[in-house]
Amino acid sequence: MGADTMGGEKLKVVHYLNQFFGQIGGEDKADIGFRVKTGPLGPGLALQKALGEKAEVLATIICGDNYFSGNPEQAGEEGLKLIEPYEPDLLFAGPAFAAGRYGVACGAICKAVGERLGIPVITGMYQENPGVEMYRKHAYICKTGNSARDMAESIRHMTELALRLISGERGMHLVSRENLPKPDENGYFPRIILRNEYTEKTAAERSVDKLLAKLRGQPFGSEVILPKFEKVEPPAPIKDLRVCEIVLVSDGGLVPRGNPDGLSGRGNLRWTTYEIDTFLPENFKSSDYEIAHTGYFPVQILENPNRLVPVDVMRDLVNEGKIGKLHPAFFSTSGNATVSRRCAEMGDEMGAEIKRRNISAVLLTST
Amino acid sequence: MRLEIESIDIKDLQPGTKTYAENRILSVDLKELEKLILQDSRIKSVDIHLVYPGDRVRIVNLLDVVQPRCKIDKVEADFPGFIGKMQIAGSGRTRSLRGVGVLVSNPCTNRKYSAFLDMSGLVAEMSRYGGMRHISIAPDIADGTEERDFEDAVKIAGLKAGVYLARGAEGHPVDDVEIYDLDIPDLDCKSNLPRVAYYYQLYSPQHDHLGISDPCFYGADVRNLWPTMIHPNEILDGGVVGAHTVRALDTYTIQNHGVVKELFRRHNKDLIFVGVVCGVANMEPVTRTRQAVMASNLVKNILGAEGVILTKIHGGLPHVDLALVAEECEKLGVKTAIFIQPLISYGTLADTLLFNAEAVNLIITVGATMERIKIPLEADRFLGGTAETKIYCPDPIVQHAGDPLIDVEQFLIAGVHDHLGGSKVIVKEY
Repeated sequence: MGADTMGGEKLKVVHYLNQFFGQIGGEDKADIGFRVKTGPLGPGLALQKALGEKAEVLATIICGDNYFSGNPEQAGEEGLKLIEPYEPDLLFAGPAFAAGRYGVACGAICKAVGERLGIPVITGMYQENPGVEMYRKHAYICKTGNSARDMAESIRHMTELALRLISGERGMHLVSRENLPKPDENGYFPRIILRNEYTEKTAAERSVDKLLAKLRGQPFGSEVILPKFEKVEPPAPIKDLRVCEIVLVSDGGLVPRGNPDGLSGRGNLRWTTYEIDTFLPENFKSSDYEIAHTGYFPVQILENPNRLVPVDVMRDLVNEGKIGKLHPAFFSTSGNATVSRRCAEMGDEMGAEIKRRNISAVLLTST
Repeated sequence: MRLEIESIDIKDLQPGTKTYAENRILSVDLKELEKLILQDSRIKSVDIHLVYPGDRVRIVNLLDVVQPRCKIDKVEADFPGFIGKMQIAGSGRTRSLRGVGVLVSNPCTNRKYSAFLDMSGLVAEMSRYGGMRHISIAPDIADGTEERDFEDAVKIAGLKAGVYLARGAEGHPVDDVEIYDLDIPDLDCKSNLPRVAYYYQLYSPQHDHLGISDPCFYGADVRNLWPTMIHPNEILDGGVVGAHTVRALDTYTIQNHGVVKELFRRHNKDLIFVGVVCGVANMEPVTRTRQAVMASNLVKNILGAEGVILTKIHGGLPHVDLALVAEECEKLGVKTAIFIQPLISYGTLADTLLFNAEAVNLIITVGATMERIKIPLEADRFLGGTAETKIYCPDPIVQHAGDPLIDVEQFLIAGVHDHLGGSKVIVKEY
């Protein structure tokens, strides 16, 4: 009974390790699947020590690196099922240091658990670990050294961050007051989000200071470092339109009235598809549409959506035999002050779907 | 041109039978103020309330926030072109009341974006207006008045109320005098200090309600403004006011213009402040280029600037205009510092840039003014609207002022962000 009461008061922690740190074996055991051990193990002992009386490591989840990294998404789901029954308040994974497969596994288990259980998920990696770029969005990845020599320090560091995240304290350094510790001061990789932070000087003071430095030819410290855009090579032209299937894609924000898929009018991060036969039939009704895009005057398009998504012309061209086929679905998104990163991701996602559907060409119409 | 702003720190506000200030307490004859506002035939009636820090009140449909100010030594000179006679603003003496504001609401608005302020809870803590005392005014539309005409009337009612309050404080001891003295024709040509100009993007027509621009420059709208040089005092002293929506910018912010005040503070110490070029955001690429080239010419060849600070207005599109002006300046050898506003909180800072100009390499993040935040309801009283007043959210969420929790973008909370550089906010990667 005593233990139960204590368990209720303490934070519940689950820890993920690979086969090596989970004391099952080395590379020869990298193919093993998941197992669960009660209580802390290996690096978990140091973790438990660092957490002290505040939290208890209830279980250690172990998986072989090859097994996990072979299909990280699926393995993440499998691990989640084992972790869920413990109803943890925190998940720790690794640290993985420079180990690539282990880093991917730590990132993926954090992603699955963080998204589904909504709890803080903390891991640690060396900056060159591929897991950093893949999963920094989904987990708090503490910066570590490149080997287990850094274990004690990394565990201490991960624990401090975790306790801070779970403390519920208000982030007075942020306009939003969210409990979001500063990445540089807390030694974790930024998670690709932006926040308004309070600072010592007004934007006006900073701009004058920095402009004067620039005029003196000194380093001036722009608050944004300019991106380097890659050149995109256009693909080879279609050889014969008469045998090709074309899909219509638009970022003009055309959606059915009521916007069932919730595209945002500005800063949109979503895309969706609509079946043309029902979405834009020949006898369409203007009142059936709306525009989820606040960057242009949509009056003409709402009068006739074919002005944005030229289904009418495409139907004619198909009937005339000039084009093989119009793909039966239309891909819709809204491109208004959306960040270039997400645009590229949406492009990749749409591209994969278009490829999967064996479509030969895309007609992209914008506003 | 020399401007003296004489500030009085107001510590309390109370209703009275006469408008006057004594011992830093401002008494307001609300009846007289009401009469003054109702002189405008476009206004049928007006709700006037005093609000205080800690009040459980939410003020909605905000169209403007005004610092009470009046000219001391000139007649019909307050907000020239708006309420005063047309003359150049920015010289002589101005009385300014600190710690007190006029919150101007348009309860009849049909605009999509509706700003608000809470006097208690998270919003009051975030907003620079949360700790101040205010007079909230909310006029009602007179029959037969056009929607846009009424907006102008509401705007002017707010300016008039500000002037009225400041006039009432006549005779009260002054706490502080700021002097803005800049004689541009007689600037020290032999100085070794760098010559710095300010490029002020005044307006963007992109959200013009019903296709009509808001007057914000000497009573006129500036949709088709050619790049124009003005004296910085004109900005501080009522030549420029906010548009008809509070979007991280209002008249109060302009009266306390961050960049202008900072350039004055550093004038003759670290730099020579050579003046201001105004311009606007444009809807057409040809116009945009023409304006950018002309503006950069004024900065370089007329003002003779070596460096320029550029600030923007409103949302996404104005970045493009602003960056083009900066690019043209850099081409002419003028070093630039440009303000930007990341529009979305997803991505790295570099991901959010809306222009691609290698020469524009000094970028100041004035605030991600569209950062989302969830606000729990603290208020049990609503001014300028009702609990049913819609509060804008970019996602298809329909929400109202009286909902237990609203999900908003920070630019619609008055006094949190400041496009003109006056707030201590920076955008960081997290």
